[in-house]
Parts: sequence; C-alpha cells; structure tokens
Amino acid sequence: MNRFNFPDLGIGVGLRTVHFSHILGSQPDVDWFEALSENYMDTGGRPRYVLEKVAEQYPIVLHGVSLSIGGTDPLDFDYLRKLKSLARTVNARWISDHLCWTGVSGRNVHDLLPMPYNAESLRHTAERVRVVSDFLETPLVVENPSSYVEFATSTMTEWDFLAALAEQSDCGLLLDVNNIYVSSFNHGFDPNVYVDAIPADRVVQVHLAGHQNHGTHIIDTHNDFVIDEVWKLYGRACGRTGDVSTLLEWDADIPDFPTVHAEARKASAFRSEGSRESGAGGRKTADLRSPTPDSRPYSEGPYAAV
Amino acid sequence: MPQSDVALAPLQEWMQAVVTHPSDVYEAADAADIAVDDVILPSQTLQPIQRVGIYHGMYMLRMIEALTVDYAAVAQFLGEHHFEHLVRDYVQQFPSRSYTFNRLGDSLPAYIASSSMQRRTFLRDLAKLELAMTHVFDEAEAEPLPANAIASIAPEEVADARIIPIPALRLLALDYDANDAFQAFRDDRPMKPRRRKTYLAVHRRDYGVYRMPLTREAFVFLEALVARETIGSAIETFHRRLRRFPAQSELFTWFRDWSAAGLFTAIEVE
Ligand SMILES: [Fe+2]
Repeated sequence: MNRFNFPDLGIGVGLRTVHFSHILGSQPDVDWFEALSENYMDTGGRPRYVLEKVAEQYPIVLHGVSLSIGGTDPLDFDYLRKLKSLARTVNARWISDHLCWTGVSGRNVHDLLPMPYNAESLRHTAERVRVVSDFLETPLVVENPSSYVEFATSTMTEWDFLAALAEQSDCGLLLDVNNIYVSSFNHGFDPNVYVDAIPADRVVQVHLAGHQNHGTHIIDTHNDFVIDEVWKLYGRACGRTGDVSTLLEWDADIPDFPTVHAEARKASAFRSEGSRESGAGGRKTADLRSPTPDSRPYSEGPYAAV
Repeated sequence: MPQSDVALAPLQEWMQAVVTHPSDVYEAADAADIAVDDVILPSQTLQPIQRVGIYHGMYMLRMIEALTVDYAAVAQFLGEHHFEHLVRDYVQQFPSRSYTFNRLGDSLPAYIASSSMQRRTFLRDLAKLELAMTHVFDEAEAEPLPANAIASIAPEEVADARIIPIPALRLLALDYDANDAFQAFRDDRPMKPRRRKTYLAVHRRDYGVYRMPLTREAFVFLEALVARETIGSAIETFHRRLRRFPAQSELFTWFRDWSAAGLFTAIEVE
C-alpha cells in the first residue's frame, strides 16, 4: 500500500472513444478505467455523457497531458479549475499527469516534452507540484515520461530526480514501466536500476503499454502488445510495491475491447489478488446502454442532403 | 557538473522553436539561437540533431492528425499533400494555445477564406460546416422543449415570447452547397463544389449531430429567434428582410419541425 492510502483498484484499461459502445452495451468485467482529462473537460457532448455513465459503474482515475508541470509559463488555473470540477463529478480516485512540459509563451505543442534534470528544474517543478496539489486538494500523481533526448544541462538521473521531486513536493508516482524501458533503450541505462531506485511507498499506479522499436531508438506509440521485457520490469516493480493499481494504455491502432482487456489481464499473473478496493469492478444493475448507437464522431441526420 | 548551463526557460523556448519550426529540423536548428550540440547529448546511435528531430517530426504529424479529425471532408477534398501544406501554414499563424485540441481548428475557415487557395470559397464553406459540427458535438447538453410547448403559448403572449435555442445549435448561410458535398464525402462519392446559396441548422439531439437544410425564409426567421428576438420581433425582422410576412402555415410548419428536432430548450414570456 502506498503512503497516501490510495486504493489498489486492480487492473484497468484506458477509456477510449472506439470502445464507448462496447463498454456501455456489455459492461465488461474491468476493475477500473483511466480517462484522459482533457478529452472530457471541455465537452458537454457524448464523451462527457459516456464518462459520467461509466463513472456510475466503475472507479475512474483522471490522467492529464496538458498540465505542463515542468513548464516555465505560469500554471493555468482555468485548466486546474475545470480539472478539479471534472474530478469531483466523476469521483476520480486520483489525478495524474506527466513529468514534462507541453509548451511555453502561451503555446501548446501537445507533446510530453522532456525536462532537464538539475537543481533548478527540480526546485521549479517541486514548487509547482505543491501548488497544484494544494489547489486540487489531493496529492498530484506524477508519471515518468518516455523521452528521446538527454540534456547537457542535466546533473542527475531521471530516477533520482523523480525520487527527489516526490520527496520535496510530497506527490504520488505513476510508474510507467514501458516508459522506463523506452527511455532505457534510448539513453542506454539499466531499467532495473531505475525500478529499484523508485520510492515504492509513493507508487500509486503503474502503466503498461506497447511501443515501436526502430532499431536506433524506440518511439512510445501505445499501439501494440506489451513486450516481455516490459512485463519483467512490471514484475520487478510489483515486487517492490506489492499489488498496485495497474493500467494498460492503448492509444493507436486500437483493437477491440476484449483484446485490450485480455492484454491488461496478463498483469494478474504478477499480482496476489484479493487486495483491491472493495467494490471495484463490481457491477451494479443499472442499464448502461446508450440511448443512441455509437456514432463517432457524428451521426447522420435524417435530413437528406438537397 | 553539467555540460551546459542554459537555464530552464531559455532551454524550453529554444526547444519549442526548433520542434515547431515549419521546415526540416536542420533548418530549424540553424534558425535557433542555441546550438543543438551545446544542449542535447548524443546517444550511442543518434546525433543530437536526430534526437531533437524525433520531436520535430512528431509535432507536425500531430497537428495534421488533429485537424484531419475535425476537417475530414476538407482533408479528403484537398488530398494528403495539399492538406498537409494547409496545416503547416495554418499552425504557423494559429498555433494551439489551449490545453485541448478542440480549439485548434477554430480559425481555419477564416484562414482558408483569406488565403489564395484554389476553390477557397467552397473550401471555406465546407470548413464552416465541419467546424459547426465539432462545436455542436461538444456544446453543453440541454433538455429540449416538449413537442407541444410552443403551440401551448397563450395567443396573447405569442408576440412577446422568446424561444430559447439549445446551446448545441449553429446556423449557417453558405455560398456553396457544402451539405451536399459533405454528404457525398460521407457516402464515399466524389465531392462536387456547387455554387448555390445554402442554409443549414446544425444541431445535436440525443448526442448525435444532425444537419438540417433550411429554406432562406426559415433561416431568416430562425436566425432572429436564435438572436433572442421575441416571436413578434422575429416576424418584423422577416418582413424587413424578405418584404413580406411569414404565412401562418409557414410558422406552424417551422415550429412543428424545429420542436420535433429539439432545437429549443425554453420559452420566456416578457
Ligand atoms: Fe503512461
């Protein structure tokens, strides 16, 4: 158990639009869902409707990509207000985002851009994590990113930076073992050293995903099955954390829901089970079926074109 | 000891400038005020410029992908090469400034209209339609009025009544029949730009997005209602613009159809 008493939710799957109909229609036996915060913050349409329906039946965790916790622009409190409000609406168990920056000078590059790891960036990021956690009234959970560059301005490893950040800002950690693997390949370090150095009592959640190996480097594409080396890292991480909320991310070339879910369920081989949040995964009897067929992104109108 | 002492803020400014530069990463690096090799380390397999190039390459792909979702018909009509060119130019002038991609394409119709592109008026109208659809898709949900609510307004109150539209409604007056072209796109038929005044209500019902063709008369009247004019004032507006009053039968049909489509959410009587 982590020091924040965030529960072990079991094995979850990322909530994706292409699966909306399946989830609403067949109420799969998934322990929990992770929703991408930004996809639901600014819509009153079908995505929001579906998320709220799913949240009635399953535990939800909100996972963001635009907080820019390491960015040098001021924090966006309009964004944080909307995030907090969404978290309340769907009873998010916790809120996570990445150790990265996403843009400066008011712009959003919509990428998880890497940080240099040094005293200045640690001070800067830790201060912002504290402000965000205070504002959200819950400890922010910070995920290790995958990256393709290393900065000459870095003075410490990513795992030392993350451990120090967690300590100084009292945040939780979302350990993405695929990201550790991707970065270890790209930067030539031993991923086991990374896993072993992480303060286990701060790990609230683990991510699993697939990637694309280009020989000279790996791109974190989330478009495939989890490779064996990443499962091994997962096992190693679980050995340190004990049973921990685990989630499979699949964001491109997404197969049908049962395939994604079956891949996620492979994590059960590394878990002792029986320790997850009471009630997680238990279905209620309410009818989740959608009033309309899935029609992403638009349904055709009954009005014939002239 | 670090091998460079560039501070965090200038480092991020530099990296953003390189990653979002419209030409290739080598030109991007040349245009920047910090040398790549001074701030990025090589890996065992890639040089610093190649490593930054990964981010540079992915930036434009993401912009193209996001705008292709919002403007699928425009993208198809232009073809991959021309659409990518359009996106590349567009995001230079209108880069994302929001935490969501939803706002990225908001200025595309106006951008197309002000460009020197071939077929720009048609493409502007097609883009306007697709933008209206994305806005309607995301608008706040509101309970539609019951079908008989408007018919139930007391006769003496009709003139002063305001019929409040649902948020998920956009009206379009177009020079080209973009609805016909969009339908062709949906049906996998070739899109043909046809110059014809076209009036549409794009709206959402039960979380589905619909395109409702309107006559010019219906458009003029509905536009006045959407501008929060009372029914009496909307009739005056109609008279001023079309030099006749709407017939009772027209008003009856419009309110019946629009109520059935769920375009209104409330009635306010002064
Ligand atoms: Fe992740």
